[in-house]
Amino acid sequence: MTEKLLKIEDLRTYFSTEEGVVRAVDGISFDLEPGERRGVVGESGSGKSVTAMSIMRLIEPPAGEIVTGTIEFKGENLLELGEDEMQAIRGGKIAMIFQDPMTALNPVYTIGDQLVETIMLHQHVSKKDARGIAIKALEDVQIPNAPARLEDYPHQFSGGMRQRVMIAMGLSCNPDLLIADEPTTALDVTTQAQIMDLMLKLAEDRGTAVLLITHDLGVVAGFCDTIQVMYAGGIVEEGSVEDIFHNPQHPYTWGLLGSMTRLDGKHRARLHSIAGAPPSVIDLPVGCRFRPRCEFAIDICGRVLPAIRPIGEGDQSVACHRAEELDLKTLDVDVDHTKEVAS
Amino acid sequence: MLAYITRRLVYGLVTLLALSVIVFTLLQASGGGPLDRLKLNPRMQPFIQQLTEQWGLDQPVWKQYTTWLKNYVSVQEFAVHNAIPIIAIVGAAVATFLIVKFVRSQWTGTYLLGIWSVALYLALRNVTIRFNWGISFQGAGDVWDLVFSRTGATFRLGFTALAIALIIGIPLGIYQAIRQYSFFDQLGTIGAFLAFSTPIFIIGVGLQIVMALYLERWTGVKLFYVAGMNSPGYPDMSIVGKIADTAQHLTLPAISIALISLAGYARFQRASMLEVLHSDYLRTAKAKGLPRRKVVIKHALRNAMIPIVTLVSLDVAFMIGGAIITESIFGWPGVGRLYITAIGTVDYPVVMAIVMVIGIGIVVMNLVADILYGVMDPRVRYD
Ligand SMILES: Nc1ncnc2c1ncn2[C@@H]1O[C@H](COP(=O)(O)OP(=O)(O)OP(=O)(O)O)[C@@H](O)[C@H]1O
Ligand SMILES: [Mg+2]
Repeated sequence: MTEKLLKIEDLRTYFSTEEGVVRAVDGISFDLEPGERRGVVGESGSGKSVTAMSIMRLIEPPAGEIVTGTIEFKGENLLELGEDEMQAIRGGKIAMIFQDPMTALNPVYTIGDQLVETIMLHQHVSKKDARGIAIKALEDVQIPNAPARLEDYPHQFSGGMRQRVMIAMGLSCNPDLLIADEPTTALDVTTQAQIMDLMLKLAEDRGTAVLLITHDLGVVAGFCDTIQVMYAGGIVEEGSVEDIFHNPQHPYTWGLLGSMTRLDGKHRARLHSIAGAPPSVIDLPVGCRFRPRCEFAIDICGRVLPAIRPIGEGDQSVACHRAEELDLKTLDVDVDHTKEVAS
Repeated sequence: MLAYITRRLVYGLVTLLALSVIVFTLLQASGGGPLDRLKLNPRMQPFIQQLTEQWGLDQPVWKQYTTWLKNYVSVQEFAVHNAIPIIAIVGAAVATFLIVKFVRSQWTGTYLLGIWSVALYLALRNVTIRFNWGISFQGAGDVWDLVFSRTGATFRLGFTALAIALIIGIPLGIYQAIRQYSFFDQLGTIGAFLAFSTPIFIIGVGLQIVMALYLERWTGVKLFYVAGMNSPGYPDMSIVGKIADTAQHLTLPAISIALISLAGYARFQRASMLEVLHSDYLRTAKAKGLPRRKVVIKHALRNAMIPIVTLVSLDVAFMIGGAIITESIFGWPGVGRLYITAIGTVDYPVVMAIVMVIGIGIVVMNLVADILYGVMDPRVRYD
């Protein structure tokens, strides 16, 4: 087995707010191989973005704090690095692109300015060479007329084009890991597909590992090798895309898959969502966090928080007491299975 | 761009006309005609005669207004001393044409603003121009001379105050935003609210008592003066003495005017900086691996300064009208004091002259603000 690119262990990131301590990320562990593309899915508020921001060490004190854990990147614990060393990693070895391309670029500087700035920050090249690299980067993301467009301001680009610029910026320094936090959520469907295709091609060509945060399981299916499903600050299930899609072990994953539109027509093209709302990450329930919404919950689920553990022959892991006895794959997901839970 | 400026100037002219009608009407409605006081003195008969003729005071109000307007815009004296004004204006016009034609649009505004400021300055230095603003009802002489004899004093005070407010207020607001909720930030907030809520005359008189009276009593040295622009012996002083004397007179009134603007700038800058600090593009800048200082200086500052431009530009315009209360407290011979006496005596040529100068200032500074806005924010388009 090759050396892990990223190895996160028992990461906990909390925010102190007026209502109380928000346990946004509460004890997650996962690894990433070099070149691996991993999807992070889960409902809003499950801690996906906070996980990403923690890896980048962009959680702003004093409100937010990484309380415990290790984030090992190429054998080095990022949490022990000084700010200077971390700056060399941000944008250089780990790049990040964000959800809203409309606001992610600085409106008062040209695209070229912002690209060249990034390149010169991480590569020791002259301004002229940096410009060349910037043009190449824009061409790689298929922006027509790249040399001229360097002089344009962000507002002169469409949303899809801006996200391409963000990708160009992210990849311009050949990072080992690209974190993409819902990169296509703000875009229309056609543009979404184009951007994801482009990212797939670029990541594959360069062997860049990607951590793709998304709500869209369809995107994950087409793009990722592995998935981790997050719920209320924890990982409830992880494994290869095949295993998770064909053999979900956690009732929440199973519910999420049910909420997917089946376009192949084999299953019903009906959409359903899991009843109820995720718990507040300030007042987490005792025991399994999914229990209040779980139709399979039994006594132990209300008392003991299930640890994540390997299941089956593959690399799949799940945090559910009843994973072995439930055979979710044989239950075709249907609305009838989701009982109404008062919340 | 040129079309935009022309359109803005036309709108400005309409606004100024409306302003003059409104203020004129209000002055008429204020009762106690300007002549009533003069009439008490029989020796004033010829002066009254002269005023009545000049301002058409025996005519209906609308006629009086048109008389005023005609006088106000008619040139009484105009002389060009040398070729510099013509060269400057023609040069600026040619430069404008070339720039509009050939230069990328984002910097056009800066260039035009710079070129025309220099050109107009050179032109005005080398011509004599006066408008027929008539004579004052108070018997204080020619309105043009009266107003412009006061502007120097007002500018000196106003610009000093503005400089203090900007130099301290803006960095203060920025620092407060960067260190939000720190002790220093809280202190700044409390200070700003104190400055806001203390009436200016209390600040003024307070400064006089503490900084001049008590300080002199404690130290035995006269550090600051409480009235006037310079000491009587000023003309005979050495250059160093002159500078010191000017500063000693200027400090206290300038501080008392500056305090409120300073508090305003700091609050405004703090809010605008906080907004930028929480923006997505700042997160991007950090995620690129930029050092924190560069994130703030390059990516945050420029965006955070954009809204301040309008605020400061309008302050410059109001500054032209002088600081009525502060000038009164510190015996400062500025436009503000002239204005307040003119209102008291319904000396409408003087009141109108000052109101219109302020109005013109606001129109021009608004335009300047909009051009600067476009310079700082490439999203702004002039059309
Ligand atoms: N700066 C912050 N201060 C306080 N709470 C925060 C902060 N940032 C995030 N949180 C909280 O942490 C939890 C997880 O947030 P996070 O942004 O990671 O969710 P997410 O899974 O990315 O959701 P979404 O799909 O909506 O982006 C939420 O409850 C959120 O309110
Ligand atoms: Mg998120």
